[in-house]
Amino acid sequence: MGTVEKKIEELGITLPEMRPPVANYVPAVRTGNLLFLSGSIPAKRPDGTEVRGKLGDDLSVEEGYEAARLVGINLLAVLKATLGDLDKVKRIVKLLSMINAAPDFTETPAVANGCSDLMVEVFGDKGKHARSAVGMASLPLNVPVEVEMVAEVED
Amino acid sequence: MSVPGARLVYTSGRTPRRRDGSFITGKLGDGLSVKEGYEAAQLTVLNLLASLKAEIGDLDRVSQVVKILAMVNSTQDFIEQPAVANGASDLLVEIFGERGRHARSAIGMEALPFNVAIEIEMIVEVSPQDA
Repeated sequence: MGTVEKKIEELGITLPEMRPPVANYVPAVRTGNLLFLSGSIPAKRPDGTEVRGKLGDDLSVEEGYEAARLVGINLLAVLKATLGDLDKVKRIVKLLSMINAAPDFTETPAVANGCSDLMVEVFGDKGKHARSAVGMASLPLNVPVEVEMVAEVED
Repeated sequence: MSVPGARLVYTSGRTPRRRDGSFITGKLGDGLSVKEGYEAAQLTVLNLLASLKAEIGDLDRVSQVVKILAMVNSTQDFIEQPAVANGASDLLVEIFGERGRHARSAIGMEALPFNVAIEIEMIVEVSPQDA
């Protein structure tokens, strides 16, 4: 087991099995040393339940933070499935964190931190990324957070 | 994977603009059906490809469609953005085959320019001119 996966295990996280998308797109595309990931939605909680809802309406910032962390777990699963070994990640380059938000909800950064914190916990300095955190009118399946990622990977 | 010397081209967000200059307008979840949204996404791809062709000359130089960001004009409770975005994804794969299989995000926007139904931006990998 690689260093990064050991770290994930220490954090008590089990990466989910990757399910291929049900439409004409793929989880990730590599071009050169950059890997572009499709927008991920939150993984199921360890107890099997799913998080749904809108920030500023039926979810608290804390619940949004948890949802963003669960999105990060799915992104890690995509990286693992694509690269085989998470130690091949050289740098998390950028996250676009899209938050399902009521029109007057403005704490999108506090929600996006759930995913950003996880990347730094897992990858250390290599996990420090550029980021945008924005509020959406609505998201697929009424998920609270969708995040897409660009990562730099080894040759 | 990647063609040696390949470059990335980032398009601006394009919209469902018809040949006569008019747009497919409206909001999903409020008067516009998923089918109409799907068609708007198809038309948006044609506009993206027009931009791309103007930039790179020959669409055969596209070695890989890398990613699209499909921004769907949506009410607060519309949640079928993937079904709308499929209009774009399906057409890209029909046109480019395996090279058209891209990463994607599909999201709901509060408002878009001119009240268009969808706006899509795209990243493609392009092989060198002399390849």
